[in-house]
Amino acid sequence: MTTAEKIGADERLIQGFSKNKAQLPGSKRIASLREQAILDFQKLGLPGRKSEEYKYSNVQPLFKEEASLVNTNLPAANGFSIEQFQLPGLKENTAVLVNGVFSPAHSSLNKLPKGVIVCSLKEAFSKNEKLVEQHYSKYAQSGTDAFLALSTSFAGDGVFVYVPDNTIAEQAIHIISVVTGSTPSLIFPRNLFIIGKNSGVQIVESFAAHALSAKSICIAVTEVFVDENAKAQYYKLQEDSGSASLISATHARQERNSHFDTNTVTLSGEWIRNNLEIALEGENCETHLNGLFLTEGKQHVDNHTLVDHRKPHCQSNQLYKGILGDKSTGVFNGKIFVRPDAQKTNAYQSSRNILLSDDASINTKPQLEIYADDVKCSHGSTTGQLNEDAMFYLRSRGLSTDSARNLLLSAFANDVLETVRIKELKDHLDELVRKRLEK
Amino acid sequence: MASGNDILKEHISSDYKYGFSSDIEMETAPKGLNEDIVRFISKKKNEPEWMLESRLKAFRHWLTMEEPRHWPHLQFPKIDYQDIIYYAAPKKKTEVKSLDEVDPELLATFSKLGISLEEQKRLVGMQSTIAVDAVFDSVSVKTTFRETLLEKGIIFCSFSEAVHDHPELIKKYMGSVVPYTDNYFAALNAAVFSDGSFCYIPKGVRCPMELSTYFRINTAGTGQFERTLIIADEGAYVSYLEGCTAPQRDENQLHAAVVEIISHRNAEVKYSTVQNWYPGDKNGKGGVYNFVTKRGICLEENSKISWTQVETGSAITWKYPSVILKGDNAIGEFYSVAVTNNFQQADTGTKMIHLGKNTRSTIVSKGISAGKSNNSYRGLVRVAKGASNARNYSQCDSLLMGDKCGAHTFPYIEIKDKSAVVEHEATTSKIGEDQIFYCKQRGIDTEKAVSLIVNGYCKEVLNQLPMEFAVEAQKLLAVSLEGSVG
Amino acid sequence: MLQIKNLHAGIEGKEILKGINLDVKAGEVHAIMGPNGSGKSTLSSVLAGKEEYEVSEGEVKFKGKDLLELSPEDRAREGLFLAFQYPVEIPGVSNINFLKTAINEIRAYRGQGPMDAKEFLAKVKEKQAFVEMTGNLANRSVNEGFSGGEKKRNEIFQLAMLEPVLAVLDETDSGLDIDALRIVANGVNKLRSKDRAFVVITHYQRLLDHIVPDVVHVLFDGKIVKSGGKELALELEKKGYDWIKKEAAIA
Repeated sequence: MTTAEKIGADERLIQGFSKNKAQLPGSKRIASLREQAILDFQKLGLPGRKSEEYKYSNVQPLFKEEASLVNTNLPAANGFSIEQFQLPGLKENTAVLVNGVFSPAHSSLNKLPKGVIVCSLKEAFSKNEKLVEQHYSKYAQSGTDAFLALSTSFAGDGVFVYVPDNTIAEQAIHIISVVTGSTPSLIFPRNLFIIGKNSGVQIVESFAAHALSAKSICIAVTEVFVDENAKAQYYKLQEDSGSASLISATHARQERNSHFDTNTVTLSGEWIRNNLEIALEGENCETHLNGLFLTEGKQHVDNHTLVDHRKPHCQSNQLYKGILGDKSTGVFNGKIFVRPDAQKTNAYQSSRNILLSDDASINTKPQLEIYADDVKCSHGSTTGQLNEDAMFYLRSRGLSTDSARNLLLSAFANDVLETVRIKELKDHLDELVRKRLEK
Repeated sequence: MASGNDILKEHISSDYKYGFSSDIEMETAPKGLNEDIVRFISKKKNEPEWMLESRLKAFRHWLTMEEPRHWPHLQFPKIDYQDIIYYAAPKKKTEVKSLDEVDPELLATFSKLGISLEEQKRLVGMQSTIAVDAVFDSVSVKTTFRETLLEKGIIFCSFSEAVHDHPELIKKYMGSVVPYTDNYFAALNAAVFSDGSFCYIPKGVRCPMELSTYFRINTAGTGQFERTLIIADEGAYVSYLEGCTAPQRDENQLHAAVVEIISHRNAEVKYSTVQNWYPGDKNGKGGVYNFVTKRGICLEENSKISWTQVETGSAITWKYPSVILKGDNAIGEFYSVAVTNNFQQADTGTKMIHLGKNTRSTIVSKGISAGKSNNSYRGLVRVAKGASNARNYSQCDSLLMGDKCGAHTFPYIEIKDKSAVVEHEATTSKIGEDQIFYCKQRGIDTEKAVSLIVNGYCKEVLNQLPMEFAVEAQKLLAVSLEGSVG
Repeated sequence: MLQIKNLHAGIEGKEILKGINLDVKAGEVHAIMGPNGSGKSTLSSVLAGKEEYEVSEGEVKFKGKDLLELSPEDRAREGLFLAFQYPVEIPGVSNINFLKTAINEIRAYRGQGPMDAKEFLAKVKEKQAFVEMTGNLANRSVNEGFSGGEKKRNEIFQLAMLEPVLAVLDETDSGLDIDALRIVANGVNKLRSKDRAFVVITHYQRLLDHIVPDVVHVLFDGKIVKSGGKELALELEKKGYDWIKKEAAIA
């Protein structure tokens, strides 16, 4: 990448901000966050090849095209039915974003327990100012990453979820983020989830494309606050179409005794980067980070995780699995960070990958950075093929090579899928994975 | 064991025992670095024109490069490259024919370090002997056993001599594994390297003794930039040892060495290092900055290179002994123990680059952090497309002693061939209090218990060392960690 | 040899031993029995000097010296040996190297030079036979990968090698099958002498069929509530601990 092009993209974005900022929603405080964030971006710039965090994921080509992209006022297209993206059993509470903008017409939020708020972020900016002020842009700090900076600068909408203290939401909330249209787009959906003390919630977010005939880059940021003794699950299902790229970041903060699980399943999309950072801010927290990616064609999928153990007696567990075919590339970069105070930390990380094709490749960087001595931390990473002995065993029992292979790959994927606690979602994922493997 | 091998002498003290400096008349270059200095060094060494050209090319390239500050887990103040002396040599007669002609003070220095340069002494009662090339500041002082080795066709001499006597080998191999463009410190070394060891084992020869280079920084304000080149021709075998020490000084000293190994068809090179440069004092003052590029290439089929390192010294260690597995069925190994205490920082590991078919690599890394130190393992395993059936197994363990230190693991795994099987495991844990108590209940005090447990923990690596080195390494571990568990 | 007077001790502020009195003379074997949680293991830990345990009251004299003042290693060097309930694994450190270090440290404490290598090896060979250990076991890393029975045998082997004057066996019988139990007990019996005392801590009477004690004490709720001859052990086996609990409650 030449410097000239890099400067070009950075500056286009900065100019785009100046042009658009007057129309962006939110209070004065939000506006000043935006100004700070664009300064941060100016300083950071789009990451280059030398950036250690983007070593294996070259973002420059994504932003190469001349199309100025920045357009936060894309019309919410209404000409499609949301049903195709809904999941059985998860239809009651659906919040829909179309090109990053909340679409009331597609959403249905009828079965929310008392006190629970699910609305557009734009609406929350004005109606729930206090909560927003307390949490917004606190966990995803714009100075730490160029895309967080861009999100904080540009984001004007997304989904706001608030679960008050002592409230269990029985029905999962399904967020569907759809990209559509025939003009190139750069969109910035931004979510904020606040889970109160002793509360519980399950949130599923699907990324999908509808009649998309142009390049689309989605920079999606979600902040999650899990208060004391709360329990939350957040599932991400990425089924974008071939021309959609997704740079997603989830930043969670957990207070004491809380439990937060995430599961990121990536099946399609041209270029995907998932950043997942969890800060364990209280004692006795537990978190599980699971991920599965099945890649094909020229797909690129990069999962970055960081579990920041800040307090003692916390537990974290990461399991990421990848099955890579064709000319696809995969990345797993996970870090366990244990601060000096976080004694008695128990942290584990595992990355397992299978390459199906000669042209597929995987880069993994499982890291431990540890500053406390009374801890148990370990990681393991393996890359290989299917176990030949197991293949032979199955074939000697009469299975064809293909069905033996599919059986073993399903079993490989199932370790991640079985951590999905919503039955309908698990069934749906099983089906998707099965279909995909049979291809 | 060997009477001449004082290294083995029982001696444990928590102070850096090699911290003395020797009063020897030295000839030094003026401080600073520019083309004139490069020419000065080349002239002093009476080098041919091609060597000077090669230095200048490296120097000009170095000027365009930046220090690797961004990615290593290290913090160090700006190094003023103009405040370093790039050449220092004992004033001596041009040609040393026998030991009698060597400055007695110099002999005394090496003797104090436990390195005997007297061949006869070392022969007594030893099953295996060690041939030593002793490098003092910038120049090689004396290489022992040359004649014995020469009978087998083995060339073991200082790098400078090799430039004169074996220019065809130097031209062919120097920079072939670590080109001057490789990194900042490799470029610097290629421009100003002073001396080092050269070793060539001809076809089908098994080197009958361990070859060893002993490096010593003495003069204040000097940097040490030695260069080692080892070539094992078809079917050859050699085991090579490297040791290093430096006086205790308040300022930081720079050491930027390059080691290149070439292993031909069916050849094997085993390279062992016990690195004990001065680590700085308890408050982090002084100590050697150790920026070293070590790399070997398994050029043809069935070749093998094995690195074993015990790193206890240096204020900063930046070092990744690597193997390029180019030939089919080649084997690369890396066994490492890295200990950091007080304010030491180490960022060390390896690179295993699998290019040939059926290549195998093993990585065993044991990190021990104590005091306020930071100890990082950084390793790359790359399987290139077409390197079918490559296998790698990596095991990286970290042991923490105390709650002010850090232990980090940064593996990079890049796989571009589906038939590769790559496994990486890492653990971080504390030295077991229950283990220490168990030892104490059997009458063993804390310090001894720690030493026992740590040596047990490092056993897989220590087992790879030649006997003489293993004993020294065990003692060093004990000394380095003294007082780190209350 | 060992005199414990009104010993109160606990961990993390919780009192577990609430006034232990015990007098063990050279040549005697004392058994301490008691239900789970009565303080048996706390007693052995306090005697060996585990740092987490705090002594709040009372005194312990060992060969006339104040035991509680000594560091754990000095207690060992004075001749106190604890056979651990859960022997610790030390990877990479061979049993032989471990024992040699221990023996020479103890010898140095007594002002003796290191043991001659030949003598040492002869001793290893002799004592291994005590617990029917094979040569291989001695060369393996300390307790690493040992079965439960092997670990306990290894404890008795170390006991034989270090030749203490007082050996405390902390539930050495738990988890052993009958053959292993017999081997361990035989080893102990061979080591009994007029100069050496044993404190055998156990939950079950069956060990005492093999190692016949001179005195049996019942520990309950941090106190020795009953002492007697070896018949007491049989009585406990028959009636269980409930009657002791009742008696203690009445008292």
